[in-house]
Amino acid sequence: MATFWLDVLDETIRACAAHGRTDLAHELQHRRAQLLDPRLRVLVVGAPKQGKSQLVNALLNAPACPVGDDLTTTVPTVVEYADEPSGVQATDPVAHQVVGVPRQLLRAGLVLVDMPPLGRAGPADALLATADAVLLVSDAGTGLSAGEVEFLRYAVQRCPTVILALTKIDLAPRWRQVAERTRMRLAQAGLNTPVVPVSAALRLRAAGTDDVALNAESGFPELVGRLQREVSTKAQRLAPHTAAVLTATAIESLVAPLVAEHATPPAEHTTAALQLRDLQHRHDGLRRHASRWQSALADDISDLVSDIEYDLRDRTRRVLRTVDEFFDVADPALAWDSFVPWLEENLRYAGQANFAWLVQRSHWIATRIAADFAGYRPEVLPESTFWPAADAFGGVAELERPALGEFTLGQKVFTGLRGSYGGLVMFGLLTSVAGLPLINLVSLGAGALFGSKSLRDEGSSRLLRRQSAAKAAVQRHVEDFFLKFSKDCRDVARQVHRTLRDHFLTLAEDLQEEIADAARLAKDTADRAAVEQDRRRQELQREFDGLVALRHKTRLLTTAATAGVAA
Amino acid sequence: MRATLADRAWYLLTTALRMYRDHADAADWMRHQIDRFEGALRIAVTGPACSGKSTLINALVGDEVAPVGTGFVWYQDGPTPRATLYPPGEAERELPVTRVERGLRVEVPGWLPADADPGEIVVDWPARALRHAVLIDTPAADLDGGTMARVRADADAVVYATPTVAEADLLPLRPGPGSSPGAMVDTILVLSRADEVGGSRIDALSGARVIARRRDRGIAVRGRWQTVVAVSGLLAHTARTLSEAEYAALAALAAQPGADLAGHLLSVDRFTGQAFPVPVDAPTRAALLDRLGLFGVRLASTLIRTDGASQDTLPGLLLQHSGLIELRDAVRELFLDRRQVLKARSALRGLRMAVQVWPHPDAGELSAGIEQALASGHELRELALLASLRAGRTRLSAERTDEARRLIGGYGDDIGTRLGAPEYLDPTRAGTLTEESLHRWRGDAENGTLTEDQRRAARTVVRSCEGLLTELAHTDRR
Repeated sequence: MATFWLDVLDETIRACAAHGRTDLAHELQHRRAQLLDPRLRVLVVGAPKQGKSQLVNALLNAPACPVGDDLTTTVPTVVEYADEPSGVQATDPVAHQVVGVPRQLLRAGLVLVDMPPLGRAGPADALLATADAVLLVSDAGTGLSAGEVEFLRYAVQRCPTVILALTKIDLAPRWRQVAERTRMRLAQAGLNTPVVPVSAALRLRAAGTDDVALNAESGFPELVGRLQREVSTKAQRLAPHTAAVLTATAIESLVAPLVAEHATPPAEHTTAALQLRDLQHRHDGLRRHASRWQSALADDISDLVSDIEYDLRDRTRRVLRTVDEFFDVADPALAWDSFVPWLEENLRYAGQANFAWLVQRSHWIATRIAADFAGYRPEVLPESTFWPAADAFGGVAELERPALGEFTLGQKVFTGLRGSYGGLVMFGLLTSVAGLPLINLVSLGAGALFGSKSLRDEGSSRLLRRQSAAKAAVQRHVEDFFLKFSKDCRDVARQVHRTLRDHFLTLAEDLQEEIADAARLAKDTADRAAVEQDRRRQELQREFDGLVALRHKTRLLTTAATAGVAA
Repeated sequence: MRATLADRAWYLLTTALRMYRDHADAADWMRHQIDRFEGALRIAVTGPACSGKSTLINALVGDEVAPVGTGFVWYQDGPTPRATLYPPGEAERELPVTRVERGLRVEVPGWLPADADPGEIVVDWPARALRHAVLIDTPAADLDGGTMARVRADADAVVYATPTVAEADLLPLRPGPGSSPGAMVDTILVLSRADEVGGSRIDALSGARVIARRRDRGIAVRGRWQTVVAVSGLLAHTARTLSEAEYAALAALAAQPGADLAGHLLSVDRFTGQAFPVPVDAPTRAALLDRLGLFGVRLASTLIRTDGASQDTLPGLLLQHSGLIELRDAVRELFLDRRQVLKARSALRGLRMAVQVWPHPDAGELSAGIEQALASGHELRELALLASLRAGRTRLSAERTDEARRLIGGYGDDIGTRLGAPEYLDPTRAGTLTEESLHRWRGDAENGTLTEDQRRAARTVVRSCEGLLTELAHTDRR
């Protein structure tokens, strides 16, 4: 038995140390030494003016502690055996005085500690851990107060051997009822504290007069008997009992955090698992997205090509219409040189505007697709959306000057002569009828007239010819321009299409790979966490099992100790 | 005329009533304060649980009227015994009462739940002691301060009964937040179980008195209460109601030689035991024990045996021993004689609360007036000095103590009494007397050889003399 409680206590101390509760281990270590000490320290506590010091004096039949009408005891007084009466002051762990009294009762190892009144803050707490038993002193005149019950509840956790002394029963007419009520009250509170009604006054008087009957009436023989029994059987009864309570309390305080940890539901959605789920979700989204954006890109590009072509056609037609109107009036022979720069200018402008639009549109397409990717990565626009082919817009042929049919001086002379010849002959013949020579003034005049007319006719027909030639030349040129430029535009659009497709394909692959990597990583982490959790749970269970086994031993100890107490 | 604290309180109350006449709740409150101001002084008897509050009330009233219920019970003077219950939030109800042998029993309805506020019970009872004051029996003063807060709101003065002077028992008396110095000029501390001191030995009451005096002079307690009195409520109450049969039984006990009896007076068991040598039957002995306690029996039998106390003189002797006379003196001197001051103080505090609860745009001047009256009220300082002189906390020479008490109104508030000439006093002579006193005390107030405490006392007396001069000047002009 003696070794059993020590074993349990030692094991509990080890468990405390193993669980990082060095404070508990330290305290239990201290209590262990104390329980092995054959002396029995009894703390005499109670509210003010209940007769604590007088009780100690009456127990010993000696004025060991000062008593007075006013509050008297201010520091704990330790009363222990000494061959000669003595008294010293000490300060460890709290200020107290030690009084030695030569009394048989103390010789067996009983040490009484007369405490100052229980108050808001007293040394009772510090000393409670150093006590083997507690003697609570309560005035039989008033009965047990709520505060005293509270104190008892607290005290039995740290020092299970408690005796309640109801004092001053010589003065309280109804002390028997009070004692009965007190016992019931304690039973209700779940405390099996023995209640001993005593009267210090009677005991002291009995000692003075050697009155055995009066001594019996004082109730002290029972109290003395109880104390003596506790001292003589400390190792067999009190120590195991105390050890049982102490270890039970310590184990409870070790188990509580374990139970709390165990009770917290296993985090099904650990961060790793949550992350993994999120990643898988993203991965699926990306895959769904891939087919969608590709067809969207193709549609956009074909729209773009047709729009751009139409725009270019529209612009060139407008140029042509202007040119037609211009050459309806102007003589290409005169205006050509100034016309050519104008045309070049207009065509360049049309091409530029058209191209600008192309750039803008392709950029817009890129942005639109990039927006779909924004959920995966913030900056996904390609560095540039437009890569003109090296030879684009380079090879439009020069506008060649059309054959304008210049009206040279020789031709003019010839034409004039040819026209004037007819007139001259015609009028020369007519006038020759009249007897005039073939060449006369009239025929000469008519010749001149006819000559100039045919000259004029020839001039205007030549102008018309020139104009249509110029128009045709311009039309050809513009058609060339359109063909070439639209081809280039289409190439560029295709280029853009290809570049964007490549860019976003790479991006999508990149993203997919990235997400897959992350998912793998997250899965690893989640797996590890699950393993760790499992391990921790097993560990908890193991620790818990260890403590439960220890607690079982403690229960055995308690049963044994209670049986011992009952015996 | 001197503007007394009561005058100022009255002026402020009427001003406030005018100011708040449009505000029904506030006006009701003001009218309640005015009624209270004109009514009797209210003294609450409170203290921790089992401190003998009800026994003390019985001792003060002289009849067994307490305890009645668990809540606040008011005892006021009335021609016929009557009890009215005021449950919170319900209409008042008359409670049936029966006269019993030594007092009154009130049938408190059993359905009152124990934890709910049982409301207030007002008991009308014809008694001389209630003519000038209403006594209030309160539940135990707990540490959370709920009871004490209500006591301070309801009562003008407090008798605090405590079984011991341990700090834990006195905690409810600690000054609350915002209380001004000298806030406790309304409190008398009573060591209520004085007969239990030192295991109820025969000189227990003198032991208790020693403790009381020691507490009274302690520097630490300055301002927490006016004075400490040791009283055995049980003894006092029984002394006032001792019957012929009881005296006969006590006399029979006393007839036995002291040595024979001593052994049987050792404990209650022995006193009520079978082997009692005196022909007084056990029920009578048990009844005696209930009425007097073992200490009372010992004291009474000793008084009869050694001092030859008769049935006429025994109650007086017991009363003297019980300390009730001192308590009554203290109550008269510190409470009843100063009821105008105490009631004015209560009214001002009630008014201050009302102004805080119902702010009024024009209340600035009013609250300044209230604060000034509460802080500078010279009468409160007179009252504090009076208690201090009484308890011996402030020590002056015997002659000076007497003069100071007289001048600050310890013997009576009117000019004649204060100047030591209660009969007719011609104004010139009164002026001379006052100026002489003023001169004397002014000297003391500036005398460096006196302690600070003595000089403070002197300054208070000087201020009283100045007040007298002002009053005399007003009388002259008339």
